[in-house]
Parts: sequence; structure tokens; C-alpha cells
Amino acid sequence: MSSTLDVPSRERSHDEAPGTTGRAAPRGRKWWTARLTPYLFLAPWFAGLLFITAGPIAASAYLSFTDYSLIGAPEWIGLDNFQRMFDDPRFYQSLKVTFIYVVVSVPLQLAFALFLAMILDRGLRGLALYRSVYYLPSLIGGSVAIAILWRQIFGSDGLLNGVLRFIGFENPPGWVSDPDYALGTLIILNVWTFGAPMVIFLAGLRQIPTMYYEAASLDGAGKVRQFFQVTLPLLSPIIFFNLVLQTINAFQTFTQAFIVSGGTGGPADSTLFYTLYLYQRGFGNFDMGYASALAWFLLLIVGGLTAINFFAAKYWVFYGD
Amino acid sequence: MHTNRSNGARTPWPTRIGVTGGVLGLLLTTAACGGDDGGAAADGGTTRDDGPVTMRMSWWGSDTRHAATQELIDLYESQNEGVTIEGDFTGFADYWDRLATSTAGGDAPCLMQQDTRYVREYADRGALLDLTPYIEDGTIDTSDLDENVAETGAVEDATYAIPTGVNAFSVVIDPAAYEAAGVPVPDGSSWTWEEMVDTAAQVTQATGGEVYGMQAMGLNGGDTNFEVYAREQGEALFDENGEIGFTTETLADWWAIEKRASETGAEPPPATTVEVFNGGVDQALVATGNGASGFWWTNELPALTAGAGSELEFRQFPTEEGDGETGMYLKPAMFWAISSDCESPQEAAMLLDWLINSEDAVNIIKADRGLPVNTELRDQIAPTLDAPGQAAVAFVEEITPGLQDPPALPPQGAGEVQSILQRYTEQILFDQVSVEDAAEQFMSEVESAIA
Repeated sequence: MSSTLDVPSRERSHDEAPGTTGRAAPRGRKWWTARLTPYLFLAPWFAGLLFITAGPIAASAYLSFTDYSLIGAPEWIGLDNFQRMFDDPRFYQSLKVTFIYVVVSVPLQLAFALFLAMILDRGLRGLALYRSVYYLPSLIGGSVAIAILWRQIFGSDGLLNGVLRFIGFENPPGWVSDPDYALGTLIILNVWTFGAPMVIFLAGLRQIPTMYYEAASLDGAGKVRQFFQVTLPLLSPIIFFNLVLQTINAFQTFTQAFIVSGGTGGPADSTLFYTLYLYQRGFGNFDMGYASALAWFLLLIVGGLTAINFFAAKYWVFYGD
Repeated sequence: MHTNRSNGARTPWPTRIGVTGGVLGLLLTTAACGGDDGGAAADGGTTRDDGPVTMRMSWWGSDTRHAATQELIDLYESQNEGVTIEGDFTGFADYWDRLATSTAGGDAPCLMQQDTRYVREYADRGALLDLTPYIEDGTIDTSDLDENVAETGAVEDATYAIPTGVNAFSVVIDPAAYEAAGVPVPDGSSWTWEEMVDTAAQVTQATGGEVYGMQAMGLNGGDTNFEVYAREQGEALFDENGEIGFTTETLADWWAIEKRASETGAEPPPATTVEVFNGGVDQALVATGNGASGFWWTNELPALTAGAGSELEFRQFPTEEGDGETGMYLKPAMFWAISSDCESPQEAAMLLDWLINSEDAVNIIKADRGLPVNTELRDQIAPTLDAPGQAAVAFVEEITPGLQDPPALPPQGAGEVQSILQRYTEQILFDQVSVEDAAEQFMSEVESAIA
């Protein structure tokens, strides 16, 4: 929006620049250019926001009320798409898969990230190196290449089962091809991308003044007690931040499931993530109207859960003062 | 951008760069969003007489096909001055996402490879050009095309797609695997479904699970596989009116065969089955030497043989009665179709005609898009094919008299059937649902998909 507003004012500043005489004081002009410059630099980004993000968002809001096959013209059908969700067993299946994934993988990932952050916080030599190494999975974890590698490692005859057979397990399962294990494997993949929250935890741990620990140990508190009574409360704003961020992230998981299951959400729909189902409806089944409705429903879910998160935060997040 | 040098208060450079950048950014994104309006010109549209013509052509396939098609494009361009063709290719699954989005954006490729399952999806929504005028004025010559399939791209009075070639869905066996297991090699003219599963189970048993007797039918070409079974029973996947053409009993019976194959060990354990299927042709059990049989298209034999290390053979489908009266049919392997958005349809039609009717083209592509639909050229290239290619020609010739007519184009939504079938097959194999319940649920899901 602001970019469209910029345009006339930008023109004006230019028209005035060359020939103006005494009326517009140089000071005024400088004031204008100083105010405008940042916005002009931001204009490409605003243009992107407008056309690449906001435009499609508005379009999908409209499409969610239509029957739209991608090929033909959209046809207004009111709330039918939203009603249809409630009779759609695969919609429920995708919700179930996604919720299990979020509820299990986010806490696990955060716990793991915190654990490693605390180890790294003890002033190891070469900390920067470790930090980078541990951060690596976060950078590449969501990539197609890693998902393909993952599929190989966890295949029936993959690396993992090779090791398991070597140490004596007779019949290790197909970790990504058996519906009982496939989702678990993807959860582990997500936990493995603990780098981003870990770095944030690490920064948070640095913020905790050592005097609290000194005082606590003078009072006879052991390491465990210190963790629960000092570290956790003082770190709670950071934990909260990570929790909100990773929850939202986890709801949007797509790449891993898409690659590992070959886009089907299989075996037997056991990895049918919400976003994957949405994608299937929209691009595979010429059902873009319904897919748009699904996207907006996901926004409601994520928004609602984030609101709950913020509400619950009042009871456990400690802001120090 | 004129600035007065003498004016001390000239616009500072950063601002000017900012302005230019901002405007440029705006312009670029607007342009990107604009796309083309896809206004198809009347008649032949723009042709090479109006100046250079550029068309996009899209296909899915393997690396071999990409290379061969690129060769076709180069040759056509060298023979037709003023025509430029941009190739656009992916694998099968991604192809449809891409085609749908580019069609939605008014930017569909002029000439596109199509599949039986999707022709009506596009044609019924006006995305494909009716080729009838080009056939009538001789631009596209259909006189030498295989009669069995020539009309398969027609919907009522219009022809939206021309088949590229033919193939048949059949059973591919590795005779050596049966022999090594001490099991008689099946005879295609008389075997029954029961025999197929029993012999397969014997192979698995005799080899201690080194070699599996067969590969899952519900995954591998699942919808075609079931179509053949339904046709054997006098039913069909879809009838001429585009309605469901089979009964739940037939589907349940078919799945019961699959279930028995899984339980008797004729097929690998379900998890392995899923992985083998995801691996495609390259990972097929018969291609890796881990299986005695599987269901494949005749044009896939070269790819299967490449990995097998032993000679593979075709067999007809088994039947209930063992009378050899299968539901097999000659299928248009794939189609060429022209987008209704194409700005130079006349040129696209000429290219299409060249691809199917010119000796040059057929000599390059050989049997990769199915045995060439032009029967004269098919006979001509047959001797030049490699051994598996020749085996495919011989097999198709041998079985053609007993084949059923190819089915009519399935209705909109037919593209979903395979994935629905795959999902229920997986659930059956993993014991999550009974064959009867799966058949009921499959029925209602397909009904709503084609509604």
C-alpha cells in the first residue's frame, strides 16, 4: 500500500528539484528527501510484498469461496468449501498427522536445543566452530537433498537398518515405508534441525547473570535445582519465543513429507501433512478453491494456537522485573 | 532524469538510485504478474510467414526421452527456418502440477504431451484446441494411424488429442527366476489368477525370500491393472458416459487377490512393496533381479531389461477361468495436444503432424512414446529396435487379435483414481482396512472425485 502512495510524492520531489526558487526552502526539500529516501529503497520490497505476497493472499481469500479448477474460471459457491472440510476424512487425517507432529516434535526439538545450548555455554574452546556445526542441520534440514538422503538412510535396506542388522536386529522395519514408523522418522528429522532455537537459547543463557548461580550455590542449590530455579525461569521468555516460532514452523512443514513420501503423504496417508494435502488438492486434483479454503483454515488454527500460547504465557513466562 | 548542475540542492545520488530502483522494482513485478493475455488468434494465428515463430513444447519422461526429444526439436528447427521450439520437460508427477499452473496463468505450452487420464480434464474446460479443422484440411494427417487408437483422443464430435503410439499393459516375467526356483514357467494363454499367486508364492518360498514371485498389483499401474481385471469381468473402470463402470464386488475380489499374494509371501512385505513402488521402473523387482514377475507397459521392457541381466518376457494377463480371454487392450501410450492459448496453432499442428508422420522423427524417437501410431512407420522401424523393443512389437502383434477396444477417455477427476487406489491398497496391505470396506470407500471417493 505504501508503495503506491509513494509514487506521487516521489514525482513531486523530482519536479521540484531542478527549477524551484525561493518558496520551497532547501531545508524543506532536504527534510522531504531525508524522509523519502528509506522508503524509496524499500520500494522494491514493498512491491514484492504487494504483488508476490499480499496479492496472492487476497486472491486466495477470494478463491476460498469459489469452485476453481485452475484451468477454468472460478465460480462463487459461498461457504461450501468450508462445509466440505467437515465431511472430508482426509482433512481430519491431515489434521491428526500435523497435530501429532507439532505436539511431539516441537517440545522434543526445544529440549534438545536447550540441552546442547547448555553444553556449549560452558565455555568450550572453539565454541564458534561447534555453534556452526550444530547449526548446519537447520540450514539444510528443510532442503530437498536432505530429504532424499533421509529416505535413503531410513529405507528398508538403508544405512540405519544395515547398522541395526549388523548389531543383531533380525527384522528392522522400513522406517519411512511402514505407516507405523514413517511419521516418527519425520519427527526425528525435525528434531535434528535444532540449530536455530539452539543459537537463540545460547544467546539467552549468556544473558543470565552469573551472580544468580553464585547466590544459588551459596544457598546450597545443586546443578539440577539451579537449572529449575534459575535457568528455566530466566530463560522462559526465550523458550516462549522459540516455542511460538517453532510451532508455527512445524505447522507449515512440507518439503520433508513431500519428498519422503513422493508427494503422496503415504504410506497409507501416515505422513499426510496438512500442507501436503492442501497441495495435493490444489495442484494435483484441480481443486484450488478448496485448497485455498484449507489454507485459510490453517491460518485460523495457527493464529488460534498462537493466541493460546500468548495467553498461557502469562502463567509461566517470567520477564524478570 | 535531468538535473540542473548549477542547482546546489540537486537530488542526492542515493535518492536517485532509490527512485530508479523503486520504479524498476515496481515495473518488474508488474510485468511478472502480467504474463500474457493468451488471446488465441483466429484461424492459423501467427505463422512463419509473419516472421519468426516461437512455441513451447512440453513433455514428461525419462532422460532417454528428453535427449531424443531435444534431438527432434533440433532437427525440426533446422528443417523449418523461422520456427523456434522451446522444450519444457519434467517427470510425470511434477508435469501435471506444472501444466495446471501454467494453464491457469494463460501460459500453457503450445504443444503438450497428454495422458488419457487428463485429456478430458483439460478439454472439458476449454484448455485444448479442437484439432478437427486441422485434420480436415490435411495439416494433421491421420490416414496412416493405427485404427485401434486413432479416435481415442475424441470427445463427442471434437478431437482434442492425437495418440503418439500404442502400448499394452501386460505381465513381464523373468523365466530364469521361475526355473531357478524349480517352478514351471507360466504359460500366458491359460494361467489363472490363482495360479499366478500360487506360483509366485512358490518362487518366494523356494528362494527363501531372495526372489519374490510378483510385485503388488494395486500400486504398479494400479488403475490400469484394475481396469484390465474389470474388463475381463465385462465391466470397466469408467463406462462410455464417464460413470463408474464396475461393482464393489469386482474391486473387492481384485483386492482379495492382492491380499492373498501379500499373505502368502508371493509379494514382498508391505514396507518393501511401498519402497519398490516408489523406486519406479528402475527399482522394479524384475529389473533388479529380485522378482519373477510384475505388471508393466510394453514400452517399459527396455528399461526393465537394462537392469535385469536376464531376458525378460511378456505374458498375457491371467484370467479367472484360464481361458486366455483377458481384459487387455491396446492403449494410446500418450497424446499430443495443442493448447487453446497457443498463438500459432497452425504451426503447432504442423509440428504435431511431423512428430507422428515423418520418418525422420520416428527414426529418432523410435518406440519411446509407445510403438509409433503410424502403422507404416511402425513396421519400418521395427527391425531397427533393440531386442526388448522388438519383443514388444512381436508381443503386441501376437495379442492384438484378442484385444478389447481401448476405453473411452475417462471423465474429469480420473487423474485422482490412481492415487486413491494406491492409498487403499497400502491400507489393505498394512491391515488397516478390509478389502470390502476399502472397496466401498474407494467407490464413494471416486464418485466425488469425478462429480
